[in-house]
Amino acid sequence: MDFAWSDENDAFRTKVSDFLDQNLPNDWQAIARHGPGSREQTEFSLSFCPQLAAAGFLVPHWPAEWGGADRPTWEHFILGEEMWAAGEPRGGQYMNVNWIGPVLMRYGSEEQKHRYLPPMAAGRAIWCQGFSEPGAGSDLASLRTKALRDGDDYIINGQKIWTSYAGLAETCFLLARTGEGRSGIAVFLVPMDTPGIEVRAIPSLIGHGDIHEVFFTDVRIPSSCRLGEEGEGWTIISYALANERVGIPRYEMSSRELDAMVAELKSRGGFGNAAIRTRAAEAAAACDAARMLVYRVVDERARGEPPGTAANLARVAVVEADHKVTDFGMDFLPDCYSGSDHAAFQAHHERAIVTGIAAGAAEIQLNLVARRHLDLPKGA
Amino acid sequence: MRLAFNEDQATFSTVLGQMLDNEAEAGFQTVEDWGRFAYGAALDTRLDEAGFFDAAREEDLGPVAAAAMIHEVAKAPVVIECAASALLRPFLGEDIPRPLAVVVDDAPGAVRFLPQARAIIAISDRAVRLARLDGQAKPEESLFAYPMGTIDGGLSWETLDVDPQAIRTLWQIALAAELGGVLDGGLGSVLRYVREREQFGRPLGSFQGVQHRLAEDAVWIEGGRLLTLRAAARLDPADAALALGHIQSHATRIGYDLHQFMGAMGLTLEHPLHRWTYRARALRAEMGGAPHAFLDYADTRWGGR
Ligand SMILES: Cc1cc2nc3c(=O)[nH]c(=O)nc-3n(C[C@H](O)[C@H](O)[C@H](O)COP(=O)(O)OP(=O)(O)OC[C@H]3O[C@@H](n4cnc5c(N)ncnc54)[C@H](O)[C@@H]3O)c2cc1C
Repeated sequence: MDFAWSDENDAFRTKVSDFLDQNLPNDWQAIARHGPGSREQTEFSLSFCPQLAAAGFLVPHWPAEWGGADRPTWEHFILGEEMWAAGEPRGGQYMNVNWIGPVLMRYGSEEQKHRYLPPMAAGRAIWCQGFSEPGAGSDLASLRTKALRDGDDYIINGQKIWTSYAGLAETCFLLARTGEGRSGIAVFLVPMDTPGIEVRAIPSLIGHGDIHEVFFTDVRIPSSCRLGEEGEGWTIISYALANERVGIPRYEMSSRELDAMVAELKSRGGFGNAAIRTRAAEAAAACDAARMLVYRVVDERARGEPPGTAANLARVAVVEADHKVTDFGMDFLPDCYSGSDHAAFQAHHERAIVTGIAAGAAEIQLNLVARRHLDLPKGA
Repeated sequence: MRLAFNEDQATFSTVLGQMLDNEAEAGFQTVEDWGRFAYGAALDTRLDEAGFFDAAREEDLGPVAAAAMIHEVAKAPVVIECAASALLRPFLGEDIPRPLAVVVDDAPGAVRFLPQARAIIAISDRAVRLARLDGQAKPEESLFAYPMGTIDGGLSWETLDVDPQAIRTLWQIALAAELGGVLDGGLGSVLRYVREREQFGRPLGSFQGVQHRLAEDAVWIEGGRLLTLRAAARLDPADAALALGHIQSHATRIGYDLHQFMGAMGLTLEHPLHRWTYRARALRAEMGGAPHAFLDYADTRWGGR
């Protein structure tokens, strides 16, 4: 076992963080205030991701054929840590490089690959993920949006909800039903300017313009928009999830914000109390436990092992870490959550309250840990 | 970064696993006296003879293998003195006898393993001292699932030529490994139970109220195990304190869950659950418990006020 970074890994991390230091604008904290889903940050990504692409920091882990450099798993991961800790200047484009692109490489037609991959690799593509519906959240397989075959076209009717980035996205990675059950789900790559699509922002605790409802009324798209076969949708999203595995390295920002919170307390002479010091360390322990559980997932992947249950454990731990850090801040620095002097704490808070819900509730992960990792019997 | 064992560590852990499988089985069946603990004398001898307690000083095994071994041994329903022998003894000098009992900062009261120990180690900020034992230990009745004892007679102390801070760090890692293993062993026992035991026409383990709590417990134990292995690999004081604080802080809730889900059966001496949970109760309080470990960590990471 080796818990140290290689010199090469360290050098790569330094290059990425130096790049961010030098290239993020002075008002970046204000832009990053509401998180990667916000309109400001999505717009910002359109100017910043091309810079990342030019410097080789957008898709280094992609194959050279599609604009990458075939860099190893750990580098991809270090890149993700640095980006998230900096507030995620890639905005929603992190989805493109982490899983939408790789999914298209595997399941896309030649035409789809040539149409969509180059703009992603150049940092100029905004996508949204149309999975959740009013009646299908955790139970995603119960989704009802319909894609009805009509000659060489499909006609889509239905509603999506909680869709991030939809306000600015050009393309939706949409799940819709062509038949019954899980095997009746297909993926469609739908241009968002197709007539019949209406997007409405949902005001929320994490800012305005972050999450949306998307209505599909008689939306006609050619069958060339379908990704893979009819009925292959569930397999495709399972592959996408396996590709994503750990999701966002959230503990990295939490850990750095915890340092910033302690620094703030110390600047006020307020870090002498043993109870406060203990709480800070407890939050740090949660961050590092999450970090180690996530690293195990990345390590398995780097060594070419098939996805096991490690990712489910990691996702639970990441939720606890995020909450322990923001709870620490709110309990001992409550004044920092009003006004605009501590935008980073507020930004962290808004990210933390999402952790246990977006991309699958923590309780769903606990179900998976119980069933797959602990081998407990299925419920009634 | 590579979180898999190297080849030697993998072989070491496979062989250890085979020995423990036999011994754990044996230990499980010989609970005839329904005592609060069973000292695994046979296991202890076999591990000792096969050189397992020397792993920490072997280059390709190192403290990581030793910490992993402490965790695995602690999972067994029998108890042996492993933590101090595997992680402290190799760094204390030559000719250190074992089993060992360890006292930190003159903590009062009965000491784990004293009845079996051939030496007692006293760790303080200023020095690490050793006293050889020859009949001075007196066994004490105890709620804890360890052989406990007190000193009854004069001791002659020698100061060891070691860095007290380094030894303290090793001991935190050893305790974290043992507590993690003890909780893991108890969890395994409860999982077997709730898969089988039916109420309301279905296995208890199929109820989500049971599943989620055990799943959380598993996440904390596994996170603690990895933090402990990291601490063993880097021998860093902050890592050690963090690993111990993490696992000690979660031990209370985990111990509660383990007893709850075994119902009345878990309160009998017939079932060995208490052999894990009452080791955990003792380890949870070692070195002042989670708050002290966390304060140590805060000092190292963030300094003073
Ligand atoms: C900020 C944000 C951004 C999002 N972005 C997108 C996006 O871009 N695209 C998209 O498709 N979706 C998106 N989502 C939606 C997200 O995927 C869903 O919120 C999530 O899957 C949970 O669904 P739900 O909110 O309907 O909760 P529900 O399914 O209604 O569940 C509510 C709660 O009930 C509990 N629960 C549910 N099922 C179980 C169970 N089986 N066992 C135990 N407890 C259970 C959990 O605690 C859960 O949090 C986003 C959500 C958020 C918060």
